Amino acid sequence: MFEFLNSTPIWLLILYGIVFLFSAFFPAAFIYSMLFGWLHESKRTKKLISREQRIAAIAGGDNVHTLSSPINIEKVSSAGLVMTNITVSPSWWQLFLGNIKSIFGGQIKSYDNVLAYGRAEAIQRLREQALGEGWSEVINVRVETSMVMNKVKGGQQNKIGTLEFLAFGTGIK
Amino acid sequence: MQPGATISLHMSNVETIPGRTITASLGLVTGSTVRAKHIGKDILAGFKNIVGGEIKAYTELLMEARTEALGRMMLDAAQRGGNAVVNVRFATSSVAGGAAELFAYGTAVIVEQE
Repeated sequence: MFEFLNSTPIWLLILYGIVFLFSAFFPAAFIYSMLFGWLHESKRTKKLISREQRIAAIAGGDNVHTLSSPINIEKVSSAGLVMTNITVSPSWWQLFLGNIKSIFGGQIKSYDNVLAYGRAEAIQRLREQALGEGWSEVINVRVETSMVMNKVKGGQQNKIGTLEFLAFGTGIK
Repeated sequence: MQPGATISLHMSNVETIPGRTITASLGLVTGSTVRAKHIGKDILAGFKNIVGGEIKAYTELLMEARTEALGRMMLDAAQRGGNAVVNVRFATSSVAGGAAELFAYGTAVIVEQE
């Protein structure tokens, strides 16, 4: 049964092995993404919610807002820029669902979740950083979204890649 | 001012520096940088893509690059004799495959303690 092993040169066997590994890796990764992607996602979301509750308890409400003047502080002693960011990307399975959905149009739920998570996480990090640096309030908060690190090539231009969310504001105390 | 010198000016993204008064405006100052991650980290990020979520390597890279862009902006402001930058804005664009340009701009001003 394994007679061909003796007759084939070793380098050819190694080559076959490499080709097999590569051809098996992508379907396996895709199936993993389909079966366990939601697990990773719900873990992230749970962690984020518990952090949000903790900060709300410490700060006694929200310490970031978009107004350009302070709400709770009367005399400002110092001010500085606070910024945080996060890069997120959809899983292979979410990309696949999104590609199928974009044929018919309409709401793409799988991208919705990724974007909502990324933005909430960026704002949450801003709250934590503001607390950590000792600012009692962050005014004029802005959130920016941009697509980074995606390969811009011919027909690939419309494809969703890695998204970056940046949240920044002026910390005051 | 030597390039690469670490300077720290007052910065804010509102029209003034809260708690201080602006005495002079010195015009627009800008700073930018283009960064790419080395290919090994790109491949690792590709693996992370399978389940989605945060890609820490890119988050760090972009924050580092943005800090550098801010540093160049502050250098520009310091060369004009300002001690603060107000109304700071950011812009990000993907210029080539795997590289990103981070751009920071604002208005250089001279502020005084109230």
